[in-house]
Amino acid sequence: MECRVLSIQSHVVRGYVGNKSASFPLQVLGFEVDSINSVQFSNHTGYSHWKGQVLTADELHVLYEGIKLNNVHHYDYVLTGYTRDTSFLEMVVDIVQELKRANPNLVYVCDPVLGDHGSMYVPENLHPVYKNKVVPVADIITPNQFEAELLTGKNISTEKDAVEVMDLLHKMGPDTVVITSSDLPSRLGDRFLVSLGSQRTLMPDGTKSTQRVRMEIPKVDAVFVGTGDLFAAMLLAWTHHYPNDLKTACEKTFSVMHHVIKRTISYAHELAGPGRKPSPPQLELRMVQSKADIEDPAIVMEATVLTL
Amino acid sequence: MECRVLSVQSHVVRGYVGNKSATFPLQVLGFEVDSINSVQFSNHTGYAHWKGQVLTADELNVLYEGIKLNNVNHYDYVLTGYTRDTSFLETVVDIVQELKRLNPKLVYVCDPVMGDQGSMYVPENILPVYRDKVVAVADILTPNQFEAELLTGRKISTEKDALEVMDLLHQMGPDMVVLTSTDLISPHGGQFLVALGSQKMVRPDGTTSTQKIRMEMPKVDAVFVGTGDLFAAMLLAWTHHHPKDLKAACEKTVSVLHHVIKRTITYANKMAGPGKRPSPAQLELRMVQSKKDIEYPAIVVEAIVL
Repeated sequence: MECRVLSIQSHVVRGYVGNKSASFPLQVLGFEVDSINSVQFSNHTGYSHWKGQVLTADELHVLYEGIKLNNVHHYDYVLTGYTRDTSFLEMVVDIVQELKRANPNLVYVCDPVLGDHGSMYVPENLHPVYKNKVVPVADIITPNQFEAELLTGKNISTEKDAVEVMDLLHKMGPDTVVITSSDLPSRLGDRFLVSLGSQRTLMPDGTKSTQRVRMEIPKVDAVFVGTGDLFAAMLLAWTHHYPNDLKTACEKTFSVMHHVIKRTISYAHELAGPGRKPSPPQLELRMVQSKADIEDPAIVMEATVLTL
Repeated sequence: MECRVLSVQSHVVRGYVGNKSATFPLQVLGFEVDSINSVQFSNHTGYAHWKGQVLTADELNVLYEGIKLNNVNHYDYVLTGYTRDTSFLETVVDIVQELKRLNPKLVYVCDPVMGDQGSMYVPENILPVYRDKVVAVADILTPNQFEAELLTGRKISTEKDALEVMDLLHQMGPDMVVLTSTDLISPHGGQFLVALGSQKMVRPDGTTSTQKIRMEMPKVDAVFVGTGDLFAAMLLAWTHHHPKDLKAACEKTVSVLHHVIKRTITYANKMAGPGKRPSPAQLELRMVQSKKDIEYPAIVVEAIVL
């Protein structure tokens, strides 16, 4: 497999978020990963302390120029996640557009990180940049419910709402949309959360068909950081192997997440001791230890294909 | 295995040098790798063009401070390689010393990158910092012949010279020294280069003994970048698994290099086409494709115990 990904995300010295979360799993699956580190921090910002440096939009451009001058700016995928700076994000869009001119088959996987549970945790002025500039050039997006609502201006209270929101997102650009988590009630009870996916494909006769799936994911009583980054990276990998089968791609992706999270929470509890809440360092994803699950994930959940 | 490495090396967006060369193989072998990127460049400096930014000694300190404030400055290994800045290198030494106070068993694996084939490719003022400060706190050192000569002030013309130079290096600090390549004549002929290793160990009765080994490696007609970084990382891994068996550790390490290089040169020649010399971009190590060889290296070289 000869597949090259350009991933523009954070780097942390310690732990697994951003490029640290995305690179190893993709490399283990045989992808060549070129990584531009948008920041270098000691660790993620959920710890008591964090320190480091950020890359400016100009510096991002300089790095891209280096790649371009050597005529090696040929990518099959671009992957982006958490960004706080509008000019940085706009530079990313310029780069994606140029890379798409160089390779029209390029797939841009975008996690439009804006916030969760009703509140934004990035500057508000990123919202219009995502909505008006980023999403239109994205091919696969992985918003949570809040981000999907923000991007479309539509609230989600029912599964029908969610399907309409995903259709609106398709119209804005991406042919593949996965709402990674929602507040919708699960058929399996309140220990489960609902995720939904939608993939639009062009049929041989020129018409468009949409496959929609629903997944019920067991909730875990802990705050993990970096899981969204791992999710987007693994969705890239599994949609690469199953480009017309969102059901399978999602089953593999969510299964990998399950294995990594399960291993992580077990280890975190072991480190914290009985009756104690694990700390952020203890909750770092057990990425390296999950290599076998990343390479060959045992499927532990079934996606239901929605018939509408 | 619960083993944490702090690797302070370059990052390149594309390709495999510095942390890009060291991190994936170590992670694949189960090591937790914390990485501080000393620079971020588009690609290594052997390409026609390269662009990027460097980390200052102050910025390095700031990152380390973040780790320390969270009380997670606990490492089993430190790994360093190519550095051009003396104040950066001195800050690395300070960090290593502090980490060793916290964990006296910490092993510092140091590739004292200064030059090759008789000429330096870092600023000259790096030499005294390596010679007088860095090597003293290193536990495993991977100089080539030129670097070993620079550090000890002694020329190597025979195997006997090389053994004496390795003993001098032991006296300066590290209990393990591997001369990764030399100009010494191989008994197998000019298509082979000679590497040597020496490990100092303390016997139960308190006396020291040294195991010395020699390896002959087939020469490859190409310039690879990042192989030294891969070598140091893999030597870290295999001495971790074979702490008292330099022969086994070196056989594994050199074998991994062999498999990665072989896969790389085959692919590069294929990309370049018949009769054409591969470009730096085409010669990037086939790291990701070599995962299995990294995990389970088939032994293809035998180290002779001297």
